[in-house]
Amino acid sequence: MSGREERRVALVTGGGKGVGAGIVRVLAARGVRCCINCNSNPAMAEDTLRAVEAAGGEAFVHRADVSDLGQLQGMVDAIIERWGRLDILVNNAAMQPNLYIDEYDYDKLRRLWEINIGGYFHAARACLPHLRASGCGRIVNISSIHGKRPTGFDAGYAMTKGAIRMFTRELALELYSDGITVNAIDLGGCEIEFKTGRAPFRGHSPVECHNPAMRGFRMVKPEDVGELVWYLCSGGASSITGDGIRLDKGVVLI
Amino acid sequence: MKHTVVLTGEAMAEARDARAYLTEQGYRVETVPKNIRLWDEAALSAFAEPLAGDLLGVIHPAPQRILGGVEAVSEADWSRAADEGPMAAWCVTKVFCGLMAKNGGGSMIYLNSIHAEKPVGNGALFSMGCGAVQMLSREAAQDYGEFGVRTYFVQKGIAPTDPDSASPVSGVYCGVDLRYCERKYPEAGHLNALLAFLLTPGAAALSGSDLRADGGMTLYYIHRRKVEGRPYYERP
Repeated sequence: MSGREERRVALVTGGGKGVGAGIVRVLAARGVRCCINCNSNPAMAEDTLRAVEAAGGEAFVHRADVSDLGQLQGMVDAIIERWGRLDILVNNAAMQPNLYIDEYDYDKLRRLWEINIGGYFHAARACLPHLRASGCGRIVNISSIHGKRPTGFDAGYAMTKGAIRMFTRELALELYSDGITVNAIDLGGCEIEFKTGRAPFRGHSPVECHNPAMRGFRMVKPEDVGELVWYLCSGGASSITGDGIRLDKGVVLI
Repeated sequence: MKHTVVLTGEAMAEARDARAYLTEQGYRVETVPKNIRLWDEAALSAFAEPLAGDLLGVIHPAPQRILGGVEAVSEADWSRAADEGPMAAWCVTKVFCGLMAKNGGGSMIYLNSIHAEKPVGNGALFSMGCGAVQMLSREAAQDYGEFGVRTYFVQKGIAPTDPDSASPVSGVYCGVDLRYCERKYPEAGHLNALLAFLLTPGAAALSGSDLRADGGMTLYYIHRRKVEGRPYYERP
């Protein structure tokens, strides 16, 4: 581990649980100081913080709704006040209600849009001055294979992931001359504590709909995502930008 | 036989061309009035329901582009792009695909853009909306397919009628005419026949797919060749 790596600072939105917690654990284990953003479940974020500290890492929890511009800016200000720099933004906070097109109304879909893509967009904007100052800024947008392949159980969620695909590409072009890389991870099914949305597959259980060809596949773990984030944030990945890397153990190949 | 086609907007030149062409071909083309916000489900339903029994298909053009870098986006721009892009497309889909599903099926055509795949570096708001609608088309193909509703996502290229979108960081819009394989912009009405085909059941095998209709302009990786003495990166 180099001295430079020890000093880097990351903001992980939705870092208190699930995929985000796995990313925090991996980054912190490699010396990155992490702001663990949470909103709906601060208790789990405190658990993640304790795990990081027990492993010798450095982090703090900041509660903020990523769809609220003021709260986002306040979180970034808190990071700068504490550590004086910000090198890595991992956009991860999202929701997946699992509703069909006809089950959405304007308010539900707009709320989803504001969290799943608005949160990413506005967090990037709030962090940009500091990522530029870093000299090796990194943005990693956690997305989903739903952004490329339809699944038939949440069109709204898939729309936001399609938007993240293009946000990643646009931002990569915009920020390349600043030395900031922007990439997405198109995540497949991940083994997390619990999911927030309704169980997918209306009228069927997930088991009934499970593709028998998938037998034997192990689901991705949050730490697998963390390892890929760590690589994308490394100097060795400085030529990779605007990409969407599929992390699903090959499931969409079936 | 059903012969009503709904056009949800006419800001795009290709949409106006399609209206004229389809009318000439004997279709009844109904354009959603400008005073109806496409993300207003109640108002859109009130417009759509009288047409339901004769509804053959819907053509939903992408909204007008909002240009500018990520840091230049105002809250008003953000909100407008959300409403006119993904929210409008979702509402149009819910209302019209729902009606077509109850009436034996039909075609839902998203007349969109190559910017669902191709970034420009100063159009994130627009491109994000395109990416979202692309996924909506794929999901809607699954949600409504068993009821005879087919969806298509048409990615049109860049035309001289489009607003100037020069990007300070990308050459995507430079020498566009030379990027078309025929070395010229497409003629007006170039999408008419494609749209008419997609309204027919004969296109059913394409449901849920993307149809890139950009004359090959996005095939280029790095094109340094001079055509007619002019390198591609010089704007005409």
